[in-house]
Amino acid sequence: MRVTNMLPDIQYQMQQSQQALASATQQVSTGLRVNQLSDDPAASANMVVSLASSANVDQYTSNVNSVLPRMQTADSAMSSIVTSLNSAVTLGTSGASSAILTANKQSISAEVQSVLASVISQANTSYNGVYVFGGSESTTPPFVAASTTYNSSQGSVATPLTTTTALTAGSLTTIGDATTGETMTFKAASGDTVATLQQAIASAVVAGTLSAGTSATINAQGQLSIGTNDASSGIVVTSNDIVLGTMAADPNTAVANAYAYVGNSSVNTVQVGDSLHVATNLPGSQLLTAGANVIGSLTSLINALQSGTDTQIGTATNAVSSALTYVGQQRVPLDSTISQLNSQDSYLSQEKITLTTQQDSLVGISLADAATNLSQAQLNNGAVLAAAAKVMPQTLLDYLK
Amino acid sequence: MSLSTSLSIAVQSLNAASGALQATNNNIANANTPGYTREVPILQEGAPTDLGNNVSVGDGVDLVRYQSVRDELLQTQIQQETQAQSGANAQLSSLQQIQPTFTTSTQDIGTEMSALFSSISTLSTNPSSSSSRQAVLVAGQNLATAFNTASNTLTSQQAGLNTQVTQDVSQINQLTKQIAALNPQIAAMQAAGQDGGTLKDQQDQLVLSLSKLTNVSVTQSNDGVTLSTGNGTALVVGSKSFALQTATDSSGMTTVIDPNGIDITKSISGGDLGGTIQTRDTTIPGLLTQLNSLANQFASAFNNVQTSGTDQNGAAGIDFFKASGTATTISAGNITMNMTDPTQIAASTDGTSGGSGNLVNFSNVQTIAPAGGQTPGNAYASLVYQVGSLTSNANAESTATTSSLNQLNDQLSSVSGVSIDEESANLITYQQAYEAAARVVSTIQELFTVTMSMGTAAAA
Repeated sequence: MRVTNMLPDIQYQMQQSQQALASATQQVSTGLRVNQLSDDPAASANMVVSLASSANVDQYTSNVNSVLPRMQTADSAMSSIVTSLNSAVTLGTSGASSAILTANKQSISAEVQSVLASVISQANTSYNGVYVFGGSESTTPPFVAASTTYNSSQGSVATPLTTTTALTAGSLTTIGDATTGETMTFKAASGDTVATLQQAIASAVVAGTLSAGTSATINAQGQLSIGTNDASSGIVVTSNDIVLGTMAADPNTAVANAYAYVGNSSVNTVQVGDSLHVATNLPGSQLLTAGANVIGSLTSLINALQSGTDTQIGTATNAVSSALTYVGQQRVPLDSTISQLNSQDSYLSQEKITLTTQQDSLVGISLADAATNLSQAQLNNGAVLAAAAKVMPQTLLDYLK
Repeated sequence: MSLSTSLSIAVQSLNAASGALQATNNNIANANTPGYTREVPILQEGAPTDLGNNVSVGDGVDLVRYQSVRDELLQTQIQQETQAQSGANAQLSSLQQIQPTFTTSTQDIGTEMSALFSSISTLSTNPSSSSSRQAVLVAGQNLATAFNTASNTLTSQQAGLNTQVTQDVSQINQLTKQIAALNPQIAAMQAAGQDGGTLKDQQDQLVLSLSKLTNVSVTQSNDGVTLSTGNGTALVVGSKSFALQTATDSSGMTTVIDPNGIDITKSISGGDLGGTIQTRDTTIPGLLTQLNSLANQFASAFNNVQTSGTDQNGAAGIDFFKASGTATTISAGNITMNMTDPTQIAASTDGTSGGSGNLVNFSNVQTIAPAGGQTPGNAYASLVYQVGSLTSNANAESTATTSSLNQLNDQLSSVSGVSIDEESANLITYQQAYEAAARVVSTIQELFTVTMSMGTAAAA
């Protein structure tokens, strides 16, 4: 074969070896074997899936770190409530003795009132602005001092609310009952009026959610007035309906030592694993008013110490003791969640390492391999250049001089 | 044989050697001229002279002509390989510009999709948090922007390629015109018994340039080269060239019309024009279809979840995404946020204040594939694979055709190329032949002198 001009081949080989050198240099500088999709399309596609998994793991870890201290705060609050209830049982037991003078019972009653105040304070515990015992309603304190009457801010003598006044669709009106320990939530549907709310309250009374005598009426000032006949207990009313305005307690109807729950019974969950969700809040109604009514039992003990018989004090003390047992039972799932979150945190750390390793194997390159590749590319490039330097200047004319 | 005859033969030798030196000189001068085909002097032995008595003697040498050393088969193979290489390069160039849009970065679709799901997960830890709600809106808009950017990259590439079609057709018409103009000149020279090598070289270079632009069929005839398109429509016949035209179809794309008014866009497969049309009409629309499908399905899934829930104000959720402008169908190019108020995020399933039940459904969009489809993450991964694979294939084809073309060029160069070493040797050969012929002339001159001085010299 005649060989005429080797320059095009030499130039092509130099370009090829310089491309290889540039690629090897990029591998060393980035630590990546795949710097663009076309370097390895399958690895690039798998990388997309792996990075999505990685982002999920990061988010799960963030969720654990967000929820765990909240749960620990709730557990700590419940621990304080247990301590307070133990103290109340001790006080009740001593108050139930016939040897104790009435004046001293009043003193003990005052101490139990302090215990109740402490329990309410713990029940209204918040973490980073989130009330941990309010159910999903976490922006306002869930336990509020009760009154027998609440009036709407809207409505006046001139323009009174009426039973036919339409309520705002989707609005929520909540009535917490200190006696029953339960909460009625009314969500207005399209077409609902004040009369619909009145009927809902009546139905809740029949169902036992609200105590007997609770009703809604239009008062002399043209306002919606929601009240209860139970002067020793009371209710708490909230509403976000702009037609009703703010529901405010009548200051003359406050009930001493009575508190009602205005949170809800919803439990929110958060994802901390691909198939693992944990509760992020606890309904205070479930913990402190449903079942053995913790707050109600303390209120009863206070009332018994103030004006009851020794037997009534003893009965009230037993109720507090039952509430104490109940609270202890309620702590079990909370402690379980905390334990689960701690375990998940460890698992996620390991999972993150696994994914990072997977990503390294997909698109990364070890420093040793990269350095070897670079060395090889340098050697090849040097050889091509040396060969070009040898071949290019050689012609027959050099020998004819 | 007389001295005059011998002198005549010597002069012929001088002329032949001089002519051969001229061919060598021309070869050396054009050693690096692209497309140059080396020429060799064709020397022919003079017819023998009968001296009688069964004795004959050669009658010197004639320089018959110069001949270019060609290999038409290799030339054709180079033209075909050039078409394939240019087509691959055109596709590779476009795909290399598309590729970064789908490469993992802080703003690609996959990353923004993950960021949206993360923001929703963060919101589930505190559904009443206005900052977390705002973060969801921002993440949603970022994802919509990522879809818009990817779509714009593809459509911009398509528009650029569309312009390229017009430019390529214009260049093709110029080249066919030049090629046709050379045909009669070459034919005239060949009719006169000349090689026409220089003009043929020019024409071959023009055909090679044409091969870089499109697939053409080249045949030789008495009138010169005949060129036709992939579907057989003549572009050059003899001294006539037939220009291609361009038109715009209903989708705004430039089409190629042959001289008979037939749309030949789909039959153009090679060269820059073929690669450009392939990328413009097949590759990019395919990617756009997948991208639009992903954006539409993702938006629909999110909107379904959003409208099945209740927002922070207790109202039924409104669509999360919408199509911008007057469009009614959501695509990657028009997807945008429908919500502007963070309280409109329907986190709750039943309107419970602070409820987050519906956020789980948002998160499930990530893992639940629509009927007959893929999860959004897998659909995007498929798209990434396809872009990478198309680019990789175009790169491989470009490399393979370049390598093949180099080999073919080496082979052609082996036949038609100028070797400086070889020409240097020829130079010496012809120089020596010239010197030898000159010595013959000198010798005959001496013999003439001796003959003319016969008698006088002896007398002296």
